[in-house]
Amino acid sequence: MIERDDHHLRAAFEALRREDAAGTPPFQATVAAARARPAAGPGHRALRLAAAAAAVALVAVVVVSTRRERHGVRLEIDLATVRWQAPTDFLLKLPGDELLRSVPQLGPRRLDWRTL
Amino acid sequence: MAADLTAELEQLHAAAFGWALSCCGWDRTAAEDVLQATYLKLLDGRARFDGRSSFRTFVFGVIARTAREARRRSTLRRWLPLASLVLGPEAVDGRPDPATALARADQTARLVRALGRLSARQRQVLHLVFYEDLTIAEAAAVAGVSVGTARTHYERGKAALRRLLEDEDRE
Repeated sequence: MIERDDHHLRAAFEALRREDAAGTPPFQATVAAARARPAAGPGHRALRLAAAAAAVALVAVVVVSTRRERHGVRLEIDLATVRWQAPTDFLLKLPGDELLRSVPQLGPRRLDWRTL
Repeated sequence: MAADLTAELEQLHAAAFGWALSCCGWDRTAAEDVLQATYLKLLDGRARFDGRSSFRTFVFGVIARTAREARRRSTLRRWLPLASLVLGPEAVDGRPDPATALARADQTARLVRALGRLSARQRQVLHLVFYEDLTIAEAAAVAGVSVGTARTHYERGKAALRRLLEDEDRE
């Protein structure tokens, strides 16, 4: 693929290759250093996955909370829908208090003589 | 089997180191680190040669991938200081180390500077073709691009490199 007018480029790369070759570390030393490296075992991989998952969860929480604040949406609890009963509520019950919850009707009413 | 692999790697060692240097922006320490990580992947079977390409192309592909991973880790470390706790202490800064740069002859120093100003893909393809004597198809396989894309990078890279070297000569 190298054309005739590429010869000066080829010569420059050849010089670079010679210089790099002179500084190449010995093969055996490189292999020995490679074997001495700690291999990425399953524990290490699990730690990386856990760290990545934690980072993703953190980013998701930050993004969701930022977007809610930006759009003016806040987490609110409607107190009208919440019913709470104290354990001592039964003490407030009176005998016949259901009569007090109904409103007596006013107006003309005929008397039934049979009940008198 | 392991002895065969070691022998083949030994034959390729000088060329592999040159390619690792190019992938790491001529940072010698980073290149040695990438080469060690590559050899470890090959020797413990995490990267297996399946015969679909030449062994040389396969090894160069593993080196390129390992260098990319190292760069990604380095970027992550720069942005997330706590990531060093998980990723370990090694670093790739993608710049020629001062000792190697000083030891270079003037002509090669100019070439390295000019290559550093090309795009990563153009630099890769030119290096593989001119330095490693690979064909454009082999360079495409190593870089993980199509032959047409590699040819475009080759032609544009060559023109840009000629221009940059002429500029360097004028300065």
